[in-house]
Amino acid sequence: MTVRFGTRKPSGRPVAGFFIIYVLIIAGLAARLFHLQILRGDYFREISAQNHIRIVMNPAPRGLIRDRNGEVLVDNVPSFRISIVPSEFSTVDLPLVAGLSGLAPDSLSSLIEIASSRPYRPFPIRTGLSVEEVSAIAENLYRLGGVVIDVVPQRRYICGPEFCHVIGYVGLATSEESYEGQVSGRSGLELSLDQRLSGEPGYRREVVDALGKVVEEYEGGGEVSPRPGEDITLTIDLGLQRLATEVLALEGVPGAAVVIDYSSGEILCLASSPVFDMGRIASGVAGAEWDSICSDPQRPLLSRAWAARYPPGSVFKPVTALYLLQSGSIDGSYRPDPCFGSYHLGGRDFGCWTVHGRLDVVGALAQSCDVFFYRTIQLGSLDGLAAFARGFGLGSRLMGGILPGECRGLVPSSALLDSLYGDGGWGLGNLLNVSIGQGELLVTPLQMACIAGVIASGGAMPSPMLVKDSDISEPPWADLDLPVEAVALVTEGMREAVAGDHGTLRSLGELPWEFFGKSGTAESSAGDHAWVIGFVREPRPLAIAVVVEHGGHGGAVAAPIVSRILQGYLGGGG
Amino acid sequence: MTSDRPDPVILSALGLIVVIGLMAVFSASQAVEGDPVFLKQLAWAAVGVFFLVLGTRLSLRWIEEFAYPFYGLALLLLLVTDFAGSGPAGRWLALGPIRFQASEVAKVAILAAASRAFADLSSRPRRFGVFFVYAGIIPAIVLTWLQPDLGTAGATILMLLFMTWWAGYGPGWIFLLVSPVFAALSSISLIYWLAFTAMIVLLLLRRKAPAMLWVVVLTVNTLVAAFTPVVWGLLRPYQQARLTTFLDPAADPHGAGWNVIQSEVAIGSGGLWGQGFLHGSQKGLAFLPARHTDFVFSVWAEEMGFAGSLLLLAAFGVLILRLVWIASRCENSFTSLIASGCAAYFAMHLAVNVGMTLGIMPVTGIPLVLVSYGGSHMVTAMFVVGLGLNAGMNWRVI
Repeated sequence: MTVRFGTRKPSGRPVAGFFIIYVLIIAGLAARLFHLQILRGDYFREISAQNHIRIVMNPAPRGLIRDRNGEVLVDNVPSFRISIVPSEFSTVDLPLVAGLSGLAPDSLSSLIEIASSRPYRPFPIRTGLSVEEVSAIAENLYRLGGVVIDVVPQRRYICGPEFCHVIGYVGLATSEESYEGQVSGRSGLELSLDQRLSGEPGYRREVVDALGKVVEEYEGGGEVSPRPGEDITLTIDLGLQRLATEVLALEGVPGAAVVIDYSSGEILCLASSPVFDMGRIASGVAGAEWDSICSDPQRPLLSRAWAARYPPGSVFKPVTALYLLQSGSIDGSYRPDPCFGSYHLGGRDFGCWTVHGRLDVVGALAQSCDVFFYRTIQLGSLDGLAAFARGFGLGSRLMGGILPGECRGLVPSSALLDSLYGDGGWGLGNLLNVSIGQGELLVTPLQMACIAGVIASGGAMPSPMLVKDSDISEPPWADLDLPVEAVALVTEGMREAVAGDHGTLRSLGELPWEFFGKSGTAESSAGDHAWVIGFVREPRPLAIAVVVEHGGHGGAVAAPIVSRILQGYLGGGG
Repeated sequence: MTSDRPDPVILSALGLIVVIGLMAVFSASQAVEGDPVFLKQLAWAAVGVFFLVLGTRLSLRWIEEFAYPFYGLALLLLLVTDFAGSGPAGRWLALGPIRFQASEVAKVAILAAASRAFADLSSRPRRFGVFFVYAGIIPAIVLTWLQPDLGTAGATILMLLFMTWWAGYGPGWIFLLVSPVFAALSSISLIYWLAFTAMIVLLLLRRKAPAMLWVVVLTVNTLVAAFTPVVWGLLRPYQQARLTTFLDPAADPHGAGWNVIQSEVAIGSGGLWGQGFLHGSQKGLAFLPARHTDFVFSVWAEEMGFAGSLLLLAAFGVLILRLVWIASRCENSFTSLIASGCAAYFAMHLAVNVGMTLGIMPVTGIPLVLVSYGGSHMVTAMFVVGLGLNAGMNWRVI
């Protein structure tokens, strides 16, 4: 007899079923109790008498980091670690252990103080040691209770310091959940991608005797092996990154160079100078060395490629020109009143760097005439220019948190100027300054390289990418919708700057490929910043931005750097 | 069985359990400095006796009448706790000076509402009625899970499944109800999935299920099985690791796994007769952070040995089986379901908590009701026993 499923009258109560299941549950618990207390009672009583089971953490190797060509930049090597189990450690041994492990007795006793909060867990006192460094203590291990030596993977920075900012470094984790001796990222991608890189640690349980010597593995629980972290491949080219860092270092003053493949958005180079040795920081530098890095007036810890902001100066002019062309305020044939070397407004002279005479937009870009932009920008508005500049990603972070400390930069709007100077406390002069990349405007070299790429691609460049296979988001300039003629005029101006008779980047005319560029000499109270941005279409679609902090004239200082980087990378000699 | 007095067998078992609980908490609290844990627990037991009496005195007819509003109130409390809870893991709700766990109130509300719903179904059968019951109760269980209180949510689901069975929906129905879980698990390999689907189809065929049921069951299970690997694959390895740690806290070597090892050592070292009351190894005690709450059974087993542990298990066994016996004798569907639910309530808490201390169940933060330190569940459990006693008393006869 079957009962239909839809509407059914419940059958009799399953009294017997309930009785059987409940009896089985209780019998199961009793059976397990019998197993633990009667069959294995002696074993557990013995363990309990000493009660020395300890969990030894087995750190996971962090993921490898490779450059775009598969070259390994960062890997892990086995290293030795000395740990103390406070509950098993006798303070009588303290001076001996301190001597053998190369620690001052005072610092060892303060470490044990910290470790005592979890008395049964091994607490690392020295890490990253070689065989020679642990041999002294290993020979005496038989008479030292509560001292553990084991092998753990240690981060090794194969790449040189040219990756100190991008990759960053690791240090001992400080968060609440971390176990003693856990390593986590402190800066750069090691920090922002820490979760992907770090993996999951394994552990094993050991039964130890009163002296802390391992008697056996714990019978009840298996060993869990660590799960290695995820490997990561960068879009950076090791050779280019190294070359750019070296070229920048030759200047002796701080600077940055960014190179992007504007067809794919892949960042090939994110160099900043000066650099520091992150391998030494990761393995625990002495206090004095750390202090000297921190107090260096050139601030090597600062990544100038994305975490510093500079006024752009004249390299901003292509943006102003595109704004005017797109809004229809000017066209290619528009020639305002000539440049006589300065522009007079409201009792103040806004200077130009030379006398240019009458120019169209191509000539103004090529010769970097300020007066052209002073005159024409008055056909537009500050907020219009600001909104347009933001459309290029200025004033916002481009990398979505993957680069720790990435600066937004600053794009002044009338609201901002109102808040800075009071309502109406500013005037047309501020607009004139912004139009030539001065005033309150601040940008990062990464942003400027993207602008060069956006112009080169006519607005089609994808979002900048630093890690291969990362999620691609819509770039900020997706909605710009640049008119083809406007881009053509600005591109022509940037080509004329290199190839024209009066261009500001004539020195780059010697390059074996057509270079499109714009120089900038951004005024700053401590000395002008030298800028060049630009791009080549052949042999590869590359956009580049170089800044030299307080370097002086862009055409004179930054242009040779661009030349050396491009020739070195693309193989044009030099 | 038409006594108007509470069942003396249950009262004896209950008394024994509560006394053992007080002794265990007293012993465990020796290592807790400053906090008068034992005195508080004594006070809670006294409050519990009041609720025990209340449970026997309330009219079950009245409880049946107001089961749904009471359940609605419990849902509201759970919601408030999820958003404004305090205390460890945010499971507590403060009402003036009184703090309590809404999930405990919810357990009683689910017991009452499910009994009412199943009782209604038995007198007025509806198509797919059991699914509507689950649709109504699942929100409270999900909110409990989000507290986060995985253990209580699990124990409540098990209680509900036992009540479903008691209400006359046999193992076939139970299997259909939990089939999405198996569907998700079966997506590991094609063979598992084929075997699982074949089982479902056979079951439906054998029961001559209506077309609607075929469609619903097969669609839901196929969707679950199809999307589990997709969703899983979208997760990054560290996210997967987090999820497995969440579902299986024992995999976390810093916390739960450590406790279980120490619990096993403590219980095992008890042997046949135990180390003696108050003579549990001090070192062993220091290893157990939750020794007067979730791991109180380990303390008892260490000090009183296999004999003492069996005594406690036996007392629970008598309580549970006697409640089943009462449920089997009730003529009224509602009171019968209440009593069977009470039995399941204690059986599931016993299995999940003691199983955890013995290392055969996952580590979830669930107390041993009537024994562990804590006011909310002491009061709730006493009230539940009261309801069970009530079901066995004669005023069910009109």
